[in-house]
Amino acid sequence: MTRPRAECGARRVPPALPVALLAVAALVAVGGCGASEGRWAREAMAERAAAAGAARGFNSADVMFLQMMVVHNGQGVELARLARGREVREEVGTLAAAIAVTQEAETAAMAGRLRDWGQPPTAPPDEHAAHGGMPETAAREIASVADAAPADFERTFLNMMIAHQDDAAQLARAEAIAGLHPEIRELAGRIDASRTAQVERMLELLGG
Amino acid sequence: MYVRPKAATGAAALMLGSLLAVIPTTPAQAHGSMSNPPSRAYVCKTEGPDNPKSAACKAAVAAGGTQAFYDWHEVSRLDAGGRHREIIPDGQLCGAGRDKYRGLNLARTDWPATRVSPGPLTITYHATAPHANSNFEFYITKPGWNPAQPLRWSDLEHIRTFNNQNPGTYTNWTINLPQRSGRALIYSIWQRVVGSEEAFYTCSDVDFGGGSNPSPTPTPTVTPTVTPTPTPTVTPTPTPTSQPGGTWAPGTAYAAGVRVTYGGATYQCRQAHTSLTGWEPPNVPALWQRL
Repeated sequence: MTRPRAECGARRVPPALPVALLAVAALVAVGGCGASEGRWAREAMAERAAAAGAARGFNSADVMFLQMMVVHNGQGVELARLARGREVREEVGTLAAAIAVTQEAETAAMAGRLRDWGQPPTAPPDEHAAHGGMPETAAREIASVADAAPADFERTFLNMMIAHQDDAAQLARAEAIAGLHPEIRELAGRIDASRTAQVERMLELLGG
Repeated sequence: MYVRPKAATGAAALMLGSLLAVIPTTPAQAHGSMSNPPSRAYVCKTEGPDNPKSAACKAAVAAGGTQAFYDWHEVSRLDAGGRHREIIPDGQLCGAGRDKYRGLNLARTDWPATRVSPGPLTITYHATAPHANSNFEFYITKPGWNPAQPLRWSDLEHIRTFNNQNPGTYTNWTINLPQRSGRALIYSIWQRVVGSEEAFYTCSDVDFGGGSNPSPTPTPTVTPTVTPTPTPTVTPTPTPTSQPGGTWAPGTAYAAGVRVTYGGATYQCRQAHTSLTGWEPPNVPALWQRL
């Protein structure tokens, strides 16, 4: 059970926000904070997932995992691309480029799966708390890497990517526990393995 | 979702695109940490992840980056389900065994500590998105624990567990602290009971005073314990990560155009990369083209 009111309080809009962002934030506040609407969306989605899923062998955890990974992966691609044209060792640049293309392909496949299942591409705003969701990399993180001084860039980039992929591995392990669909569980296994291996390599690169 | 004023003003234009993409799913961050006595994560996030004041927080950020402290309320394992001691290795208790949080594991004698005395202590847990029905376990380090050594499970003595709690944003409990002198560490585990296997972990440094504070930290090598990531205990349905035969192998640098065999098929490398487990040729068409 979540407490929409407490969450809304945390989402106060800072006064300095430009108008465009304010509008977006207001939209979110309306969409995300209405307790009844959030609950309605969640229940409706759960029902839809249950009805469709029963026949096709997936459950709401599979859906949630795909929805969260689509967003998380997308941000990972954005993060990985930041290494392009920056001062990084060749191995770091190669790894970042490979992360970008593999996650892009993975994201497309996951989004396609959600479409095939007739599920929304993203979850209702307050949905993932109930499932033990992790946050996706926020714009702040991407900006902090993009803005890093040349001398700090590689280290900042690696640290952020380690944190990001560590979060992805967590999402994958939750799917391994709660998911139903064999292919999605396999996908989660590969995501866990690849992100874990990437983190290991990045830790080596930091140490070296 | 936390729209931080600084981030919003700083790079608003640049961010708008990504923010739009982010918005639908970010809000409800489950979670929390000990705010009194504050956990290491809470201390460093309060100091400010980008410009921490204490030497310990500076070292933690240097060792693992700032993100751990923006995500101070998520020092968690989604796959815990009560198996804390299995999934979190000794030496990594404060960081929940996660590389993202490795800075929290630094064995130092100068983590900012809250002064405490033996006897009743009211403690507070700050949850940003409380979850009903949770168990909270509290531990303290045994007499003689040395903060300059990595924290092990066997260093902990159980104080009290509160079961089936429905935490609010700030939840208080009173625990009874045993006799100690000098520095000690209060460890907590918040295990969700319904709807998730998720558990949260905190390390709060406390000081009973009059302690034989162990000789100042010989500045523990800032090198974070690069322990090989604990093999995930939850082995999901095995994918063909076993050896199905072929010339492909993980940990190999492949140039574009190179050919390998895997599982009886031949693949050509599309983009230079160093291979790794999870990137087997049939699983990553972006890197390998089947011939």
